[in-house]
Amino acid sequence: MSFDHVADLAAPYALGALSDDERAAFEAHVRRCASCAALAGAAERDVALVASMEARHPAPPELAGRVARALAAHVARPANLWQRPAWLTGALAAALLVGLLPSMYFWRENRALHRAMVAQSEAMERVAAGPHLTAAFRSAPGSPPASVTYAPDGSWYLIVVHDASKALGVAWMHEGRHTMLGRTVPRGSVAMLYLPKSHRMDRLALMDGARIVAQADLWWQKTPPNHPSARSG
Amino acid sequence: MAATPSTDEELAIAFGAHERWAFGDAYRRYASLLYSAAYNVLGNGEEAQDCVSDAIARLWRSPRAYSPERGSLRSFLVVCVRNEAISRQRRQSRRMRLEGRLAAMPVEHDELQVADPIERDRVRRALLTLPDEQRTALALAYYGGKTQTEIAAELQQPLGTIKSRMKLGLRKLAAALET
Repeated sequence: MSFDHVADLAAPYALGALSDDERAAFEAHVRRCASCAALAGAAERDVALVASMEARHPAPPELAGRVARALAAHVARPANLWQRPAWLTGALAAALLVGLLPSMYFWRENRALHRAMVAQSEAMERVAAGPHLTAAFRSAPGSPPASVTYAPDGSWYLIVVHDASKALGVAWMHEGRHTMLGRTVPRGSVAMLYLPKSHRMDRLALMDGARIVAQADLWWQKTPPNHPSARSG
Repeated sequence: MAATPSTDEELAIAFGAHERWAFGDAYRRYASLLYSAAYNVLGNGEEAQDCVSDAIARLWRSPRAYSPERGSLRSFLVVCVRNEAISRQRRQSRRMRLEGRLAAMPVEHDELQVADPIERDRVRRALLTLPDEQRTALALAYYGGKTQTEIAAELQQPLGTIKSRMKLGLRKLAAALET
């Protein structure tokens, strides 16, 4: 699915004018493409604006219980753990090294942390195996030193904060505003965040709440960024 | 269990990270809006409740469905619930009620019974600023629950034309409502 195709489908998607199959294909693509996600988000905002002006009905009190039961009835799948055999072996080996497997109860107790750690293992594997660039964050006085390692095509980013005492937000600075991308996950004295992306970002910031504590300017080669459509459609 | 986030942005990050508590918090924060989005499509309270809980459960089973860079979590959830409601409506072949609402232009019909008269007038005025062909395409999709393919066939226009009309019409409608 190309960027132009997604641009054409974003409004029909948000308006509810796609068939179930079309919607599934659209959602599957948007899930792995940040640029297209932003297109979908813009159309969603427009439709939500209209929807918010329609008749408002108070939610029945029992609906909260239904939602809670629906969430409890399903165990969330760890993201793509069994769908990416190319890196599975390496990721599990890395997980063993960082002591993840001895703590398998995380599978039940904290799946989000588990997923983040597996993703970071994948990231470290990629860093070691492929070409990459690194930029240091310019930190405010008293802020921890940090760096970002990233793929030359912008397909992934790994943010590492040293001497980290708490989680920090990571934001993409662009066009005079910032978009929150995620939060570093502390482990020992280091906190990391792995970000699979599909485009190049020129400036990242570390956020402590709403306060910017560090910024990094990323250097790119002159070839233009590739959209997933240019690779596999 | 994490603490309840104080901002929409923090909630969006936690939701994107697939934290279970964030799903519950997101429901509580937007309960009325989400329930209304379903009810206004389905017209039935019991079905609307099923729709909302199913939509949230579907997201819970779908890691990476949302990321903060997509934009507003609130808008994302509203569209997810509406799409779920529209799919239900189609599956259950209960199109008669919706099609009955399309006997004429939407500015004349029940779907514009919005939260209060001021809001209703804003939507009316905004819709009236659109060219007829864009307004019709929007109405058939948003209020009629029809697919883009069905709209193209009904209006006897190429599918690309219908997509373009919906895209332009939606943006103009939102822009008019934002002013």
